[in-house]
Amino acid sequence: MPARRALSGTALIGLVAAVIVAVALPVFTSGYVVYIANLLLVFVVLCLGLHIVIGETGQFSMAHAAFYGIGIYASALANRAVDLPYPVAMLFGALVAGAVGLFIGALALRMRDIYLALATFAFGEAMQWVFANWDSVTNGPNGLRISPARFGPIEILSDKQAYPFVLFFCLVMIGLTVAISRSRLGRSFRAVRESEVAAMAMGIDVRRARIVSFGLSAAIAGFAGGMFGLFQTFIHPDSLGFQTTILVLTMVVVGGLGSIAGAIGGAIVFGLISEVLRQAPQYQEIIYGAILILFMMYAPRGLFAFIGDRIREARHGR
Amino acid sequence: MVAENMAAETAAPFLDVEGLTIRFGGLTAVGGLDMAVAKGSIHALIGPNGAGKSTTFNCISRFYTPSEGRITYDGRDITRMPAREMAGLGIARSFQNLELFGELTVFENVLIGAHVHAGRSWRDAISARPRGIVEHVDELLERTGLTSYAQTKARNLDFGHQKMVEIARALAIRPKLLLLDEPAAGLRNREIAALDRLLCELRERDGLTILLVEHVMQLVMSISDRITVLSFGTKIAEGTAAEVRANPAVIEAYLGREAAHEAAHA
Ligand SMILES: Nc1ncnc2c1ncn2[C@@H]1O[C@H](COP(=O)(O)OP(=O)(O)OP(=O)(O)O)[C@@H](O)[C@H]1O
Ligand SMILES: [Mg+2]
Repeated sequence: MPARRALSGTALIGLVAAVIVAVALPVFTSGYVVYIANLLLVFVVLCLGLHIVIGETGQFSMAHAAFYGIGIYASALANRAVDLPYPVAMLFGALVAGAVGLFIGALALRMRDIYLALATFAFGEAMQWVFANWDSVTNGPNGLRISPARFGPIEILSDKQAYPFVLFFCLVMIGLTVAISRSRLGRSFRAVRESEVAAMAMGIDVRRARIVSFGLSAAIAGFAGGMFGLFQTFIHPDSLGFQTTILVLTMVVVGGLGSIAGAIGGAIVFGLISEVLRQAPQYQEIIYGAILILFMMYAPRGLFAFIGDRIREARHGR
Repeated sequence: MVAENMAAETAAPFLDVEGLTIRFGGLTAVGGLDMAVAKGSIHALIGPNGAGKSTTFNCISRFYTPSEGRITYDGRDITRMPAREMAGLGIARSFQNLELFGELTVFENVLIGAHVHAGRSWRDAISARPRGIVEHVDELLERTGLTSYAQTKARNLDFGHQKMVEIARALAIRPKLLLLDEPAAGLRNREIAALDRLLCELRERDGLTILLVEHVMQLVMSISDRITVLSFGTKIAEGTAAEVRANPAVIEAYLGREAAHEAAHA
């Protein structure tokens, strides 16, 4: 069955190795490494969200830090307000972000390309302003303390404790994204991306597809926000601005626009790069920029397509 | 009895276009067109460049909305219905300037054609290979000679095969009425012959009604049951291939007045 091509040997070995490393990580590393791993996994989910709207449906969003922020605040506030297991608060965060996403998606219907990018950018800026100034809810520019997540009797107080949950929710979200992408809904997203008129002729409701993809994308970003609250004790509006949106956009594009593996790989590789660069703060931006330019020049179709091409070349002895 | 039944069937055309008028600003692209397409027939719509064929075609598939007139399909007035509802009614179309899902595989292109059938159950809707539909897609790929390209990106195919993907994707709708805008344009002779065979088979075996906009006369004359000729947005002739070919107005529209004069005196 050609559509369900079996995983190649190398890919399978890589996958198994990745799973072993991921599962065993907290056993042999320090708290700091686990903290970075948690953060990377949250970025993976954030990238999955952005992938739905940009990669699958081909619509620009420059507002994903805002949806992420809505998820963080909404799940933290829900967690504080009612004494329920933390996953309920996470779902609440995803729902609120998703509802706002649906609304933005409906407004975005009349816009395209650069206009859509600018409009979503404006929304992102507005949301950051709301986070910083709605004192009674978000505690404004002082930032909000996030109380520890609880799963029944277990209370999460350290990064190592949080890690299995973060990893689990990340895997669930990867599964969900793959399922959406393979489904009839995912096909309708890609049809809209490739040709709206042809999609319409196939009976696809183009407007609905665009709105739903925005909503789903925002909900997944909001869920990433809930995951953040699993191991973080504090959120500050400064970290929910345009820089974060650009970072996520970079991860998705450099990983390989339109591919789920690309979004995941981009999040991990670029998350690591920016973390390493943090060691040399005075050169951070310039090195980051240079790496980005090199990627755009030599791997314009993304990291994974690039690696795939190299492997194929090596096999065919060129 | 039999004669009466036949009369009843011919009385109500499957697709009925009445007084269709489409204006773009000051330009009347189509003016008062009447055209009746019989069920199970191949009906060709021909005419010189800019005659208004694609405009008519786009009105029937509801991508354009007519300024005046009425379009009735299978006894239902579709004049003001949204384009995306056409697939559900069994009206499929191709695009004159290919509108493929270029980055997707041929298989996925055709699978998306079956969109309206792929959501009957929850399980179908979440499946990458919905049951019953995948088999139909494979069959369509077979019939259009695309089986070996199933996993190729549509964008990477040659032009002839891309045109076939357009048709296979339209057929995945399981249409009752198939609208084709210049399917033979740019094809080589061998490909035109294959198209000729496919369209005849669709009429004979599948009972499809086909409205064909086409410039390739070799194809039009060989397969059409009836031909409508447009020139400058109005109908100048209608009839069988033989009738249309012999019509002086048609010859004039295609070749110009002098050539028509010469042809008449040859
Ligand atoms: N969207 C539009 N806006 C303005 N004018 C249009 C539009 N579509 C078509 N026209 C005009 O309407 C007339 C008929 O065009 P149409 O595309 O229907 O011709 P056609 O018979 O399909 O020609 P061809 O054989 O070249 O495809 C032309 O003069 C064309 O310029
Ligand atoms: Mg045309």
